[in-house]
Amino acid sequence: MKFLKTKLCVTILGLTSVFAQAEIAVVVHPSNASAIDSSSISRIFLGKKKSFDGGGQAVPITQDPSSAATDEFNSKVLNKSGSQIKSYWSKLVFTGKGTPPKVVANDAEVISLISADPTLIGYVDVSAVTGAVKVIAKF
Amino acid sequence: MKNTLAAAIVLALSATSSLAQAADTRINGFASVVAGLTNDEDTSMFGYNDNISFKPESLFALQIASDLGDGLSATAQIMSRGSNDYAAEFEWAYLSYEISDSTQINAGKLRIPFYRYSDFLDVGYAYTWARPPQAVYSLVFSTFDGLSIVNNHTLGNWDSSIQVIYGSYDGSVDLVSDEDPATLNNIMGINWTLTYDWFTARAIYAQAETSISFENNEDPDRLLNNGIALVGNIYPQVASDLNVDDDIGSFIGLGFAVDYNNLLIEAEFTTVDVENSIVAKQEQYYVSVGYRIYDFTIYAITEHGEDTNEGDYDYSSVLPVSLDITGYGTVYPQGTYQALIASQEETIDTATIGARYNFHPSAALKLDITSTKINDADAINVLSVGVDLVF
Repeated sequence: MKFLKTKLCVTILGLTSVFAQAEIAVVVHPSNASAIDSSSISRIFLGKKKSFDGGGQAVPITQDPSSAATDEFNSKVLNKSGSQIKSYWSKLVFTGKGTPPKVVANDAEVISLISADPTLIGYVDVSAVTGAVKVIAKF
Repeated sequence: MKNTLAAAIVLALSATSSLAQAADTRINGFASVVAGLTNDEDTSMFGYNDNISFKPESLFALQIASDLGDGLSATAQIMSRGSNDYAAEFEWAYLSYEISDSTQINAGKLRIPFYRYSDFLDVGYAYTWARPPQAVYSLVFSTFDGLSIVNNHTLGNWDSSIQVIYGSYDGSVDLVSDEDPATLNNIMGINWTLTYDWFTARAIYAQAETSISFENNEDPDRLLNNGIALVGNIYPQVASDLNVDDDIGSFIGLGFAVDYNNLLIEAEFTTVDVENSIVAKQEQYYVSVGYRIYDFTIYAITEHGEDTNEGDYDYSSVLPVSLDITGYGTVYPQGTYQALIASQEETIDTATIGARYNFHPSAALKLDITSTKINDADAINVLSVGVDLVF
């Protein structure tokens, strides 16, 4: 029984660490002073909102659909599965009503693009965050 | 004319990609490969008969969009449909200009937003079902030439989108044959969609000056054409109120959709009427319920459509029961008139169950069984299995 309990604790710890590893940070250029809530982030990434609350243009960039960060972002922030996101954008793309965000390969590319462009907003694994970008939310 | 416009836009597209290095050209596409059959050897449904066929609903499409900068872009969609022997045709071709962050104007060959899924009828991947409910999605013409202005804004916590269209259509509809030449002029419409997180509601009103020719009637006796001519010889006003000649056609659509947790509920109600014409007043609705379980979605749809033709003015009492015409014999104007009016009446009931499986990030497998009952005929069942993809 005691053994079982220990095992359970280990399992839970294991799960926690999986979640901790998958924590994602939403990042912008260090000069971007906007405060932004999760609903605004979601609207920006779904193409419904095109500027930061402070007024500047907001251009989202996403990562490869197969990346862990994208999976986490889609489910935690956009509250949709990968195929729901894909059908959401199909509806807009094939009707000329919208264009999905630019897709980049990995965390490093997100950070390098954002550090050079104040209009961009992206997400990366928390562990990948550097001083070149500013974290505005964590999920 | 349409092809000229389409060609001009494609030319613009190719010029853009070759001349301006800065132009950002994207190619997207979608495809469906669907096999289906019916249980009835005499009647076809959705293009299927009792032998398995891949043609009726399979299609391939490529979309080329070129961003010319400063809010201007050009888009063309070329589609090859199995039902058209895979001949490639322009489905869309238009220029878009973003007047502001919230307002966009499109000009060219566009989709008429009659239904909630009109804009992406052919993009099977974008919806759950094998096909949009056909008792409701019954208007065969889906594109027009003209303008569309869309404004997106927020009302409190709601997203609101208002679209206004203006243009014309020159092509065919299916009223008495599969291809009745039709012209719709001064098409005007307004389409309003409101979305709050998991809830969407929409309403559309559209109207057009409608003319439809019955010259392609496949009936060997051409009863409809001869009937109208017969009545018209004696009472021209009656014929004019049967023919579809510059008559105001109107369309009203109302719908809502719920996507809450894993529950999906959708319904649309539509009505079509062409005043002062033989065209019946058509009312139809569907209700669809679905449930998502991981990568699967199961759904059931019930549909009902009713075409009734009381006529804008009932000439029955004005027309004589019988009339002797010298050298011709006896004709029956009243009965002929009533038969013509009644010939356009129809009731359709449909029940569907199906499932969608997202077996790949860009592809979905769909299985669907639809049972359709028209008037008092036996129900016709269609079984279809298909794969929809986007790329």
